[in-house]
Amino acid sequence: MSNTTLQSPIGLPSEPGDGWLDYSPGAENSDELFDRTGAHRAHWNEFLKSLQAMGPHELTRRWSDVQQLIRENGVTYNVYGDPQGMNRPWQLDPIPFLIAAEEAQTIERGLIQRGRLLEALMGDLYGPQRCLAAGLLPRELLFGNPAFLRSCHNLHVLGDRSLHLYGANLARAADGAFRVLGDRTQAPSGAGYALENRLVLSRTLPDAFRDCRVQRLAPFFRTLRETLQKIAPHNRDNPRIILLTPGPYNETYFEHAYLARYLGFTLAEGGDLAVRDNRVYLKVLGALQPVDVILRRLDDDFCDPLELRPDSFLGVPGLVQAARSGNVAVANALGTGLLETPAFLAFLPGLSRELLGEELLLPSVATWWCGEAWACQHVIEHLHDLVIKPAHAGIPLEPAFGDELTSQQLADLVARIRSRPHDFVAQERLTLSTTPALAGERLAPRHFVLRAYLAAHDDTFVMMPGGLTRFSASPEKMVVSMQRGGGSKDTWVLSEGPVSNLSLLPPGGLPVAVNRGGNELPSRVADNLYWLGRYAERAEGLARLLRGVLVRMTERSGFAETPELPRLLQAVTLMSGAYPGFVGEGAESRLAAPETELLSVIYDAKLAGSVVSVLGALFRVAGTARDRISRDMWRVVSDLADRHRGESRSGTRNSPAGDGETATCQRGRTLSEALDELDRAVLTLAAFSGLSTDSLTRGDGWRFLDLGRKLERSLHTVSLLRSTLVTAASPEAPLLEALLEIADSSMTYRRRYLGSVQPAAVLDLLLADEGNPRSLAFQMAAVTEHLERLPRDADGAARRPEQRLMLAALTAVRLGDADRLAAVDPSGRRADLEQLLNEAAQSLPAVSDAITQTYLSHLQASRQLSSPT
Amino acid sequence: MQYRVRHTTTYDYTDLVSVCLNIAHLAPRGAPGQICNETSLTIQPPPAVVVDQTDYFGNPTRFFSVQEPHRQLTLCAEHLVDVSPRIFPDASQTEPWEMVRERLRVDRSGEVLDAFQFVCDSRYAPPIAAAADYARSSFTEGRPILDAVLDLTRRINADFEYDPHATTIATPLEQVFDQRCGVCQDFAHLEIACLRSLGLAARYVSGYLSTEPPPGHVPLVGGDATHAWLSVFCPGIGWVDVDPTNNQMPGDAYILLAWGRDYDDVSPVKGVVLGGGQHAVTVAVQVEPAA
Repeated sequence: MSNTTLQSPIGLPSEPGDGWLDYSPGAENSDELFDRTGAHRAHWNEFLKSLQAMGPHELTRRWSDVQQLIRENGVTYNVYGDPQGMNRPWQLDPIPFLIAAEEAQTIERGLIQRGRLLEALMGDLYGPQRCLAAGLLPRELLFGNPAFLRSCHNLHVLGDRSLHLYGANLARAADGAFRVLGDRTQAPSGAGYALENRLVLSRTLPDAFRDCRVQRLAPFFRTLRETLQKIAPHNRDNPRIILLTPGPYNETYFEHAYLARYLGFTLAEGGDLAVRDNRVYLKVLGALQPVDVILRRLDDDFCDPLELRPDSFLGVPGLVQAARSGNVAVANALGTGLLETPAFLAFLPGLSRELLGEELLLPSVATWWCGEAWACQHVIEHLHDLVIKPAHAGIPLEPAFGDELTSQQLADLVARIRSRPHDFVAQERLTLSTTPALAGERLAPRHFVLRAYLAAHDDTFVMMPGGLTRFSASPEKMVVSMQRGGGSKDTWVLSEGPVSNLSLLPPGGLPVAVNRGGNELPSRVADNLYWLGRYAERAEGLARLLRGVLVRMTERSGFAETPELPRLLQAVTLMSGAYPGFVGEGAESRLAAPETELLSVIYDAKLAGSVVSVLGALFRVAGTARDRISRDMWRVVSDLADRHRGESRSGTRNSPAGDGETATCQRGRTLSEALDELDRAVLTLAAFSGLSTDSLTRGDGWRFLDLGRKLERSLHTVSLLRSTLVTAASPEAPLLEALLEIADSSMTYRRRYLGSVQPAAVLDLLLADEGNPRSLAFQMAAVTEHLERLPRDADGAARRPEQRLMLAALTAVRLGDADRLAAVDPSGRRADLEQLLNEAAQSLPAVSDAITQTYLSHLQASRQLSSPT
Repeated sequence: MQYRVRHTTTYDYTDLVSVCLNIAHLAPRGAPGQICNETSLTIQPPPAVVVDQTDYFGNPTRFFSVQEPHRQLTLCAEHLVDVSPRIFPDASQTEPWEMVRERLRVDRSGEVLDAFQFVCDSRYAPPIAAAADYARSSFTEGRPILDAVLDLTRRINADFEYDPHATTIATPLEQVFDQRCGVCQDFAHLEIACLRSLGLAARYVSGYLSTEPPPGHVPLVGGDATHAWLSVFCPGIGWVDVDPTNNQMPGDAYILLAWGRDYDDVSPVKGVVLGGGQHAVTVAVQVEPAA
């Protein structure tokens, strides 16, 4: 019955000639919409009615709105090892997964019991270990299990709660009952995506959402936040709570940022935190602020390189000791990863009887641990029907599906199991239930897995009335994975009575009364923004200079007509730092035929200081500061990086095999092509600069970015003038014209001085004229002002070293007399200019170092000491 | 015997270290046949945070953090320890090794459960085929466990050359097997891996060796630094120490510091530093019989 096509299954007239709600699930599995008799399940009534009323075209239209909303919200999911994997848009289906109120209550009862059981087990295994003595859990599963962290033994958390947020994967088997597939106990992911899905879907289908009386998610998150507040060892009234993320490269980074914002916690990476005096602190500009609670999205062993995994760069050295000393609460408790051990599933029923005195309400998927002789025998005899998995996280083994293996592979697997049986578990293969999803303009069945969430509350738990539903890519596939092309759904738990409509907040995304924790800027973010500014400016300055050079080389021919060219070429080397280039050994011949060297300075990704490598650095640092820059700024940077990455790749392909010379990589590219590309790059970088002026709020973050830009541009101007004007040239006018053009100041000059180009006037405009936004004095004055306004210590009445240095440098530039600076001595040098520029060239990097020292010095990376023997 | 031990560890850095966080295993634990009368650990510069506690294996540890800028860190540990002469068990009277293996898997007494964790693999004593192959010839059917262990100890001592320049703590055990040379840590890890491959419980022991031999004896190897040996679980007797480096059962010339699954659990000093550039570490150990 169930796989015959039913016209208008809900007994409503469908649109004429349109059977779009036809939906035929397979016969072997259970289905969410239809029961075994082919009748639809009652709790879908309201939803189908509203779907029917909407019609397929309206639904698909709204669905494309959903996609749009997701892109606009920047909802992403990173996939490791996939070139397109970073920032892949989140896949959301417009048809929610519906759970009737009664069934949700059954699940909640089962999961609360399971959560209590897991916490009891946690307390025992990290305490007296009576389960082992009582024979309830095999000793191999504890002592041979790398997830058992001995340094967390007897590490108590306030109230003895260890699972503050607990996740469980559930699937409905062919018999119609839910099973638990696995537990997520250390840092469950997905609750934030569930929230985002709700926000999007309640906006997309507001009528259906209202008519179906969907239970709201906000109270759940409020409970979670209250629970985390209550475990704070200090400042329980207003604790500082951190969401600890592995960083932007983590697959669920979007969610970390999203949840942190929603819950009002500060998002921090391990490097943003420091342990001093056995307390955890957040490093903000020039200060350390105490942290009371850490909601972590880092796995156990990465949390502390001192006591856990020594090669972890993600954690906080000393965190375990701080937790042990009771100075910080970590949620979930350190060590809870142990509870995710797949082999534990086989022993939960017995543990439940013993630890809780209760039968397990919600069964796990049938699991056999091969360390028991009888179980091992059973597994080997039934390999075809089973999935073989590692018994715990320390065993490198991809899950193997018995019926997909060749007989040779089966024999190998049996041999492996027999040689180390305690390393393996086997699970029954469930035929997962299906639920409708939109495929094209029709509904089609997809297998699904529900991740449900529990938050600790007093001495029990509450379940999120919802969850993250994920579904397979096709009805044939039983594997449910976002990484393998499946999608996600909002999960609607329906209520029996009316939903409390007390709240007038927008459906779904009702913000918890958010306390944003102020405007504290973690020092790492300040550092990233500072370098973002510096690289953006470096790229732009170099591109402008190179553009000026290439224009001269392509429009005219021969140095006779462009006497300024050698000086400009030398400036290219000085500014890019790509020595020897046009100044060092062999410069003569390169100056005579500069094309190859120039193309290399533009395109060679391996040459430090080349345009392409600066753009690469810009892209990398922009990635680390993504949550602080606007979406448009990010798009500008990533477009730029994409374009130039592509070019340097195609360039390499053309290079003759075996030829290691960097210059040959650019064979086949002409100077005029390069000129076009530089032109585009200058425009794009100018757009980035405009966006950074217009789209960032004027906080400390913007200040650091602009500080980086201004300081870099100052350095740039100093290098440009040092390499061109210190020794007088003859004739000098073409060189001066070129400098004005490169410094984007020709128009200003023309307006001011009709006629001839004079060195003193040019120097005044480029050095001292604070009305010219390209002048050195303008940049330096801006740097000085930024430094004045950055936060300082309470006792910071005196000027800091970077301020003193900057003020001295700025004053020297301001006091410079243009005529004297332009004066040429008998040896042909401009001695005063040289001295001024040399001083600036020394003090500007010193300012940069001093800024680092003052604001960012605690950002040093921590390292392991080598062990003495 | 009563010994006075002075154990100094010095870290020299090329750059300033702003903060360091460390855990030291530098106090002798109480153990059968050993009483620690006095122990002190002096740290320079003085740490801002000091927490003395006991690790999972019952070893005393000190957590400390130096929060003032420094270029040198010195840890000076001094102990006064009484070691009583050992009575060595009769190896031929110990249980057959297969029985021990079985007991370790099924006996649920606290002592055996505790011993079982030393059957499981660990970082520095991973399961490697070479160890399993090597061990087999000593463990003939029904052989009393200690008899077999002593035979294995003797073979390692004979087949492997002591060479302080051949390995570092990072040298993989496979390589030690291939090149047939190493130092006391290597030999201890190697024998531990051999015993665990058979399902037996073996733990790593760190400590000191008296450098002054009794008259007429040659000095033992490994006396100028900390020493390492291992201990094997023999039901009915308990844990029995063996030293493959010197092919003997440790007597009253051995002072025990700590035990664990391998070096990683008991390394004298672990730490994380901020800053510091390059660093060099020097260790000096003096063991003298006290009056």
